[in-house]
Amino acid sequence: MKIVRLSRRQRLLANCAPISEERMNDRSMRAAVFCARGSGEFANQQSFDRAVAALVQSVPVPPEIGDWFSSENPIVSPKWRWKKTAQNPAVLSIGIALAVIAGVFMLRLFEHLQDFPGSGTAQRLLTIASSTRSVLLDPVRTDAGALGDLFFMKHQLEHYDVPPEFADFRTLGCRVFDDDEGHRVAQIWVIEKKMQFFLFPAERNAKTGAALDFSGWRYVEQEGWTGVVQERNGVCFMAALHGREKDLAPYVSKTKE
Amino acid sequence: MLGDARKAQEVFHATLREATLRSANGETPSDPFWLFRDARWRCLEASEHGLQAEAVELQEHDLSPSAPTQIERLDVNQLAIWISAAPEPQRTALALFYLDEFNHREILSLAELKIGELSRLLANGRRQFQAWLNTTVPQKEAK
Repeated sequence: MKIVRLSRRQRLLANCAPISEERMNDRSMRAAVFCARGSGEFANQQSFDRAVAALVQSVPVPPEIGDWFSSENPIVSPKWRWKKTAQNPAVLSIGIALAVIAGVFMLRLFEHLQDFPGSGTAQRLLTIASSTRSVLLDPVRTDAGALGDLFFMKHQLEHYDVPPEFADFRTLGCRVFDDDEGHRVAQIWVIEKKMQFFLFPAERNAKTGAALDFSGWRYVEQEGWTGVVQERNGVCFMAALHGREKDLAPYVSKTKE
Repeated sequence: MLGDARKAQEVFHATLREATLRSANGETPSDPFWLFRDARWRCLEASEHGLQAEAVELQEHDLSPSAPTQIERLDVNQLAIWISAAPEPQRTALALFYLDEFNHREILSLAELKIGELSRLLANGRRQFQAWLNTTVPQKEAK
């Protein structure tokens, strides 16, 4: 006969080991039974219990009583209630954690929904716009639309044209500089709402080198500045001002998709 | 619990009547074991009337591997009478346990016992029953 060492708690549980496996729905009971299973004493107990239970099952139930219990399971499990379940600390913690994860996910999703090819460059240029002083630019007083020729003639920047929506604004100055990634950027300062325009190369496919185009006007925000960007002929144009989307919207509303 | 079919039927009907009344008054108990708790208390109440089993020190024997054969030879009424003669709360513990409808936690709740108590009551009950079996259906006879 195999000798099995059980803890006091396991011995107590093994003495109450259920007759049917289906009643063994408790982890500590399962562990105790698992440990006790090797002992002959426990095997005797189990066969004893099964024999008594079988005898109990053979008790004839009077038909008038049997009729009352047509259901297989006489014990109705407690009604599942939302309120009670929600008050469970574990459920509450999981709920809060899921809500936070969902919140972060939604935030990231919204951020990515705003993304477009070149949005990273546009955000960096908004930072430049916020720190630019007018003295840094070469004074030029003309219509913004006329500067496309200047950029082409003087700096060989092809398609650096200001779109018609912003072409009529009078300029205060302009400059051409290289950004952190070595891209040629044209910056124009206009009188209208102290707006600044930026023209920069569109983002390109790393493999094919083709410009990644997108349609219509796209908004981008950074540190209280808002820009509206359009891509055309591999060049992006951005109009930026210190304010919100609603301040720029009237300028592009007629052409926005 | 009672060892008397007539009394058991009376308890059953009384419990059922109470449940029906409560249901009709919209006072359905939220406790899923209400029916069993109520029936148990009625059984205990009913068993206080009539003949009472004498409190005696019962013999205890180790469980025998041939116990199932001995039990097979028993009449179901003998078992019912033996259990109904057991003192409370052992009677409730044995009755609920051998009904094989409840897990140990449910039995603890229904019989208002702690695990140590239930364990002792069942273990002693088995050994006492084995001793009684050895007298009623001797092992040699069972084989």
